[in-house]
Amino acid sequence: MPRPPGRRDRPDRPDRPEHRGLLRRLGPAFWLAAGWLALVVAVAAAADLLPLPRYDETLAGPPRSGPSAEHPFGTDALGRDLLSRVAHGARVSLGVGVGAVLLGLAAGAPLGVLAGYRRRRTDAVIMGANDVALAFPAMVFALAVVAFAGASLVNVLAVLGVLSVPAWIRLVRGTTLVFAEREFVTAARALGARDRSVLWREIAPNVALPAASYAFVGMAVTIVAEGGLAFLGLSVQAPTPTWGGLINEGRPVMETAPHAVLLPSLVMFLTVLSANLVGDRLRALTDVRQSGLEPVRRRPAVPLPAPGQVHRIEEGALLQVAGLRTHLPTPRGTVRAVDGVSFTVRRGRTLAIVGESGSGKSMLIRSVLGLVPGPGALRGGRVYLDGRDLTGLSPERMRRVLGTRFGAVFQDPMTALNPVRRIGVQLAEPLRVHLGLGAKAARARGTELLASVGVPEPARVMRRYPHQLSGGMRQRVTIAMALSCGPDVLFADEPTTALDVTVQDQVLRLIRRQREERRMAVVLVSHDLAVVAEWADEVVVMYAGKVVERGPTAALFERTRMPYTEALLAAVPKLTDPAHHPLRLIAGRPPDLADPPAGCSFHPRCPYARERCAVEEPPLLPAETPGHLYACWYPRDTGARAPADTGSGTGTDSDGRGLDGPCGPGRPAAAGRPGDLSGPNDLSDLDEGADSRGR
Amino acid sequence: MAGSGTAHLRPAGEVVLRVEDLFVEFPAGRGRSVHAVSGVSFDVARGETLGIVGESGCGKSTTARALMQLPPPRRGSVRLDGVELTALRGEALRATRRRLQMIFQDPVSALNPRRRVRDIVAEGPRIWGTGADRVDEMLAAVGLDPATAAARRPHEFSGGQCQRVSIARALVLDPEVVICDEPVSALDVSVQAQILTLLERLKERYRLTLVFIAHDLAVVRNVSDRILVMYLGKTCELASGDALVERPAHPYTRALLASVPRGGLGLPPADRLISGEPPSPVTPPSGCRFRTRCPEAGPECAAVEPVMRRIGEDHWVACHRPEVR
Repeated sequence: MPRPPGRRDRPDRPDRPEHRGLLRRLGPAFWLAAGWLALVVAVAAAADLLPLPRYDETLAGPPRSGPSAEHPFGTDALGRDLLSRVAHGARVSLGVGVGAVLLGLAAGAPLGVLAGYRRRRTDAVIMGANDVALAFPAMVFALAVVAFAGASLVNVLAVLGVLSVPAWIRLVRGTTLVFAEREFVTAARALGARDRSVLWREIAPNVALPAASYAFVGMAVTIVAEGGLAFLGLSVQAPTPTWGGLINEGRPVMETAPHAVLLPSLVMFLTVLSANLVGDRLRALTDVRQSGLEPVRRRPAVPLPAPGQVHRIEEGALLQVAGLRTHLPTPRGTVRAVDGVSFTVRRGRTLAIVGESGSGKSMLIRSVLGLVPGPGALRGGRVYLDGRDLTGLSPERMRRVLGTRFGAVFQDPMTALNPVRRIGVQLAEPLRVHLGLGAKAARARGTELLASVGVPEPARVMRRYPHQLSGGMRQRVTIAMALSCGPDVLFADEPTTALDVTVQDQVLRLIRRQREERRMAVVLVSHDLAVVAEWADEVVVMYAGKVVERGPTAALFERTRMPYTEALLAAVPKLTDPAHHPLRLIAGRPPDLADPPAGCSFHPRCPYARERCAVEEPPLLPAETPGHLYACWYPRDTGARAPADTGSGTGTDSDGRGLDGPCGPGRPAAAGRPGDLSGPNDLSDLDEGADSRGR
Repeated sequence: MAGSGTAHLRPAGEVVLRVEDLFVEFPAGRGRSVHAVSGVSFDVARGETLGIVGESGCGKSTTARALMQLPPPRRGSVRLDGVELTALRGEALRATRRRLQMIFQDPVSALNPRRRVRDIVAEGPRIWGTGADRVDEMLAAVGLDPATAAARRPHEFSGGQCQRVSIARALVLDPEVVICDEPVSALDVSVQAQILTLLERLKERYRLTLVFIAHDLAVVRNVSDRILVMYLGKTCELASGDALVERPAHPYTRALLASVPRGGLGLPPADRLISGEPPSPVTPPSGCRFRTRCPEAGPECAAVEPVMRRIGEDHWVACHRPEVR
């Protein structure tokens, strides 16, 4: 899966898209709305200075006349200039709106922060009182107070402000709770920051943006509420105009002078709409990181113009992937997430696809399954199942293949299971849809499936909800679901990454047993080389969307050819190594898939790279073991590679490989422990670009 | 195993951090509580790295927080250089903060998204009024270029780089003990190697004492001098890395080792595997907490809780039926 653009950007690159994109992210509607609000505020503030007739000057023009050059908004029943009245009315409406928001914020924010940060008793008391306050019928309360205390600007403002306090408390408390849980707050306290400092420096900046967003929405609500009160004559009294009052005054003359109602309404409508829109767009800004993991939409990808190549269907291959490419257009250019990947899997075998974050392994699986995120993804190459090309199938028929011949298990079982439906219902659904079983038969079959994946008391688990099961049990359930329609190929994308090591072992054993019992093929995607080495028959190593080495597991791990594979193996700590055994470091960071390096995509990080590597892309060449292919001009252990610059800062140690493979000629002689490197910047070039995996 | 006991603690003069009989409980509703950590004891000598390994729910992260007094444990003793941290409150506790620092698992969540990297690292010096001159040095020491990195915000960095910032923040106050709570488990293999190497280097350079918590036995083995195995809030086994891997005595340690995929590792094939998943810490089993999954469990395991006892040179186990070789 390619990482979101903002994250993989190198810090030394000046044009950071997220900064450039800020204006674009807010959108033109935001700026239009903000402009309108600014205009209304400016007019309200400068209403006395504008060359307008006085708002209470009767017969400034002919009564009830429509908009004209002299009176752009026309005049009312007494001949007063409506534009002037709307401008002065804005003072009341906006004043109440802004004032009530500030009052609500001033009272609500501290209480909300306190409740969210202190929690326990403080929270219980504040939120208890808040719930009581929320239960009050707000508008009735406002009417009652204004009716008794008198309809003045101050009273209206105070009432609407007080009424908004509970909502402010809720919002601020909720946001505070989210951030108070985060580890950076713990870190600040661990540094010895006082509570006040934590609240002010760590939490407040994170609450500010949601609060600003809500301020605009709250202002819109208040303007409408003030309009309602004014319409009932319970706001600022005549002759001071307010928007609601103007609408009320225009009502009797609506038939002869509709503009007297329509124009104030329109101004109020636009103002409320703009405030809501500004608030809404500001909230969108609170996502500091673009997720990049949008739900996958099942939409057919646009086929890439394929080089008119006919693939030889390999004999005995159950699944054959040939020259598969998936390119995703992004603002930075086309991301070549999968770039010409080919492999085959036979029945009863496990093929592992291994690589680091951003190597394209998950996207490869999605491409094979036809689940490429749209819109605009380009897909090329072919996927054959039993010799039949799947890439040309209609979405309808592809769905059928997905349901019955392919099964898929993903890393997080919670995302694969619907949290509000019972396990039994979810397990029975594919059986009823794809196999046409009746409700009872599907239930019985579901219970059998659960038993077969080692779920104790399957009948009871059928009645459970996903959250009532442990992580391991959930993953067993998703495996049962994937197996429910008797698939030919099981795709398992990091199926055990979220699980504990003892449970991981159980789940991988289960997958292997099911493969043997059902004569399935398994495609296992993993970042964990040890898992791959133990559980796969064949391995595909991916780097930057391409296959850099593939072959039978034993050959690939024992006679590794591609320097990247070798480096990856040596980077993993091994149980058999003594304590503080230096790990091998890979220099640099994975390439930007939108702008991959020329030649071999690993060459900028490869200690053995030579001129040819930067110019010519190596094809997959055969090693001596049948089926073992590698993409490298100067592979390990064949003598083709001459000793390269060993002082290139890779931190390679003399025993870096840690595996029992034969030592090839030209193994770099540099034996410096990384700890022996001197100077503070030694590791600065060993920068990486990989993300947290599985998040 | 999966027991308690303090026989494995060394004399107070030899250690910088000494944890004795630590208990942490959380309310679980309806008057019940989660027994997250129940009677854990260990110590760390100056300059040593103690690895704590165990599966999710074994209480290793809760132990880390309890050491930091965030929140303080329910009972038990945490002594840093002889100072009893659990007895301190308010300002007195705050004053000890800079000597004990922590690195977190999730590099993204550990950094405030609204602050710049320099401000994040400079927060400690700001609070204490010292060490502001070390900010750039620390950024450089963790492999970030102060000139370009300092003015950026966390989301502009990769996970590995964020973890470097976290490390710089923890080290800028020159702490004595650093607690690393799963610092590499969210990172890719190549980045993991970089961060582990960086930690080893910084440990030497700044003479740090580390408590390194992880679920990955191979990672813990790589960085630790001694390893403590935990299960469901209890201690199982404590030994040097060599002894633990070569002569695991506790059935749970053996099961953990057997579960590590051994592809290409040249280890003997898995012989002993445990089934099922850990029981709920709300209602932990009586006696030895591992007995419900233990292939060796006997009647005494349900009745009596095993305590740590010595079975070899600096090798301790809490089990009624350990495999002593």
